[in-house]
Amino acid sequence: MSTASIVPPKPKRKRLRGGPVGPWITARKVVQYLTLIIFLALFLLSARGGLAGNLINFPMRLDPLVMLSHLLASRTFLVGSSLALFTIILTLVFGRAWCGWLCPLGTTLDIFSLKRWRGKRQEPPETWRSVKYALLLTILVAALFGNLTLLVFDPLTIIFRALTVSIWPAVDQIVTVIESSLYNIPFMAGTISTVDGVLRPVILPPEPVYYRDAVLFGAVFLGVVLLNLAAPRFWCRYLCPLGGLLGLFSKAALFRREVGEDCKGCVLCKQVCPTGTIDPEMGYASDPSECTMCLDCLEVCPRSSIAFTPGLKLAEWHSYDPNRRQALVAFGSTIAALALFRSSALTKRETPHLIRPPGARENNLLSKCVRCAECMRACPTSGLQPAVTEAGLEGFWTPVLIPRLGYCDYSCNACGQICPVQAIPPLPLEEKRAQVIGRAYINQNRCLAWSDHVPCIVCEEMCPLPEKAIQLQESQDIDQQGNPITLQLPSVLRERCIGCGICEYKCPVNGEAAIRVYVPGTEVPF
Amino acid sequence: MSRISRREFLLSVLAGLGGLAVDQVLTACSPKATPFAPQATLQPQSTLARPTNTLASPATLTKPNSPTAITQSEASPTSPQPTPTQPSAGSPYMVVARNGEPEDMLRRALAALGGMEKFVSKGANVLIKPNICVAYHTYEYAATTNPWVVGALVKLCLEAGAGSVRVMDYPFGGTAKEAYAISGIEEQVKAAGGEMAFMPGFKYVSTKIPDGKSLKKCDIFDDILKTDVLINVPIAKHHSLARLTLGMKNLMGVIRDRGAIHQNLGQRLADLSSRIRPTLTVVDAVRVLMANGPTGGNLDDVKQLNTIIVSPDIVAADSYGATLFGLQPDELAYIKAGAAMGLGSSDLGSLRIEEINLAA
Repeated sequence: MSTASIVPPKPKRKRLRGGPVGPWITARKVVQYLTLIIFLALFLLSARGGLAGNLINFPMRLDPLVMLSHLLASRTFLVGSSLALFTIILTLVFGRAWCGWLCPLGTTLDIFSLKRWRGKRQEPPETWRSVKYALLLTILVAALFGNLTLLVFDPLTIIFRALTVSIWPAVDQIVTVIESSLYNIPFMAGTISTVDGVLRPVILPPEPVYYRDAVLFGAVFLGVVLLNLAAPRFWCRYLCPLGGLLGLFSKAALFRREVGEDCKGCVLCKQVCPTGTIDPEMGYASDPSECTMCLDCLEVCPRSSIAFTPGLKLAEWHSYDPNRRQALVAFGSTIAALALFRSSALTKRETPHLIRPPGARENNLLSKCVRCAECMRACPTSGLQPAVTEAGLEGFWTPVLIPRLGYCDYSCNACGQICPVQAIPPLPLEEKRAQVIGRAYINQNRCLAWSDHVPCIVCEEMCPLPEKAIQLQESQDIDQQGNPITLQLPSVLRERCIGCGICEYKCPVNGEAAIRVYVPGTEVPF
Repeated sequence: MSRISRREFLLSVLAGLGGLAVDQVLTACSPKATPFAPQATLQPQSTLARPTNTLASPATLTKPNSPTAITQSEASPTSPQPTPTQPSAGSPYMVVARNGEPEDMLRRALAALGGMEKFVSKGANVLIKPNICVAYHTYEYAATTNPWVVGALVKLCLEAGAGSVRVMDYPFGGTAKEAYAISGIEEQVKAAGGEMAFMPGFKYVSTKIPDGKSLKKCDIFDDILKTDVLINVPIAKHHSLARLTLGMKNLMGVIRDRGAIHQNLGQRLADLSSRIRPTLTVVDAVRVLMANGPTGGNLDDVKQLNTIIVSPDIVAADSYGATLFGLQPDELAYIKAGAAMGLGSSDLGSLRIEEINLAA
């Protein structure tokens, strides 16, 4: 064997611009795109009125990190969560095939691989791979102590949240602007109406939706994609805690990549490997807990020297894999951080407008909510919004009703139907209507009738209860022009009010409404 | 992505626009209803089954006095109007039908007015605007217009030769998709051959109200202003501010911003009615909501009256509707304002009203 000729032999198949080709690559891409399309279709159908909740939310229930964390934090076992066992079994058989074939965020990162802009960049140090394990450990320890805030770093919640809060509303804005401007052109009106009738209300919501943190989470999602500039699948290699969890299971995976003896060191497999785990110094072997089973190397190897064969031995432990010291550090620091969170003032007193979805308040929401934003997507009025400061860091990104942005629809119980962990319990409609999620208070200094002597009573009109929670008293008054007027003055019947917020939503007073919903009290009503 | 030259780009844009223009010529104008089948979280009762108690005891509330005047009303609206027709000599100004199935009552009433053909010409585009204000309750709760009344109107319009019949409203409580299903109206409209349509935000146009005394302009849904025939089908309900919600109040469903209008509701509803002139007003009083309107929710508040009022004059129809609740027309501020503006007549004694009792 002549080691002097270092020129790599011609590859077996012509490499197109898009990367290696071959039947396995085609199969993988078909599965990737299909699962992404199914995921997007389920996202579209998760607006209320689509398919049944437990059908829509099954991608979230496939996610073992989410389900395991929920199990630890809430100490509740849900039958539906056992769908995640499928992913674990898949990992025990095929390694991180989830990452390479199924994960919607992974597929997105493959589509936006940013190869041309990345160019030939040196890969980041291997030690960075330990960040995802640190994050994983922190998530699990925090979950053990009842906190699920860090599930905002789960890839499925990231992509679902980004779609719900940022991407789809932005697409809606673009489409709405196009519709509005083209509608004014006389001959276009009919076409625009037809197109609109097709798009709404399934593909796009009937009205534009608005979410807090839309810019932030759009930026976060963009950031995750832009990390591809530093290395392909940067998120998956160095940051993804689900990748870390599946990586640990992959140490015992049945099928793993093996390099045969006729490898001549042409380096092609290393060049195409998206996770950069092929090590020339170790005979072009790869770490099963980093390999996403994309099979690019299989197709590109000119000597067919790579195979994915079953084997039962445990994989080697690398320096970036979690060790005991790391686990202890994670343990200690997480406890310290949680203790710090718990000592904030928000533990003593709730913020005044912390209105939770029906049934969630009594249901230990903080230790169950996995921050997936499915409820926010399902809410037909987009009243359910992410909590930013109302619930502190412990409740960061849990759902809270902001009546000024959307009311709790009296005919709807979609949020409970869709929540993949039943943090919002699935209540039948009549029971949901009986839940008190807040109580309304009228600010007489702002109310048009009380303060300006102008007739209004929109709040009473909108109150959906069969026996309205707002009563009117007639008062002989003088209006602002000095003429006598009979005014109807509203006041809230606190025992009846369920806090749905439609009064606050529809109050014609701009800015802060003259009637506002506050946290429900725990005292016996007077 | 391959590079294309500026010329190629411009040519492709032109080709696209040309294609759109061709498509517009070839496509029918009327927008299709959404193909997506809604799954209401509130299960509506199957409305195709015959409801019970449609023929409960006849109306017991005060009837208006002296409906037998022969002279025609001389009230004529002053504002420009699409197609409200003056009652021709020989046909009544208003018809009140009682004690029948909704479709039978409507057929008799329209026949007495001279037939639906008088209002709907061949090929006309018809818009029916019922009251679908909330998605909360099924039709028995009398919060939304009776689905059989709406269905029958669709049928009658199609029989008269209408080109298209679309039914629409924009609820203030719940989404339109749910409300259309839960009210039962979608089912009846489709069975009759009509279609439900939505009211998307970009189709509201800022419209001046030239005769408006308090309301000078507002955003009104485009199709309402452009349609050939507009049939206004309110359900008679209690309303705290307006006292009753009838035809003029039902017109609020076609405007976008409904907050400020409450501040001078009587005059502003009249102003709105001066701009939107329905061809026909059909007041559904088959079931009426006596209290806790306009949202309802308590069957004890519902009264079965089995009455339908039909007239091209919205003020007259509302006036008669007021009497069903024991009120005089002028007790309702918007009727008074509307009559004062000359939009119609509230003087029931001077009108030619035909009363049809189907049980007799």
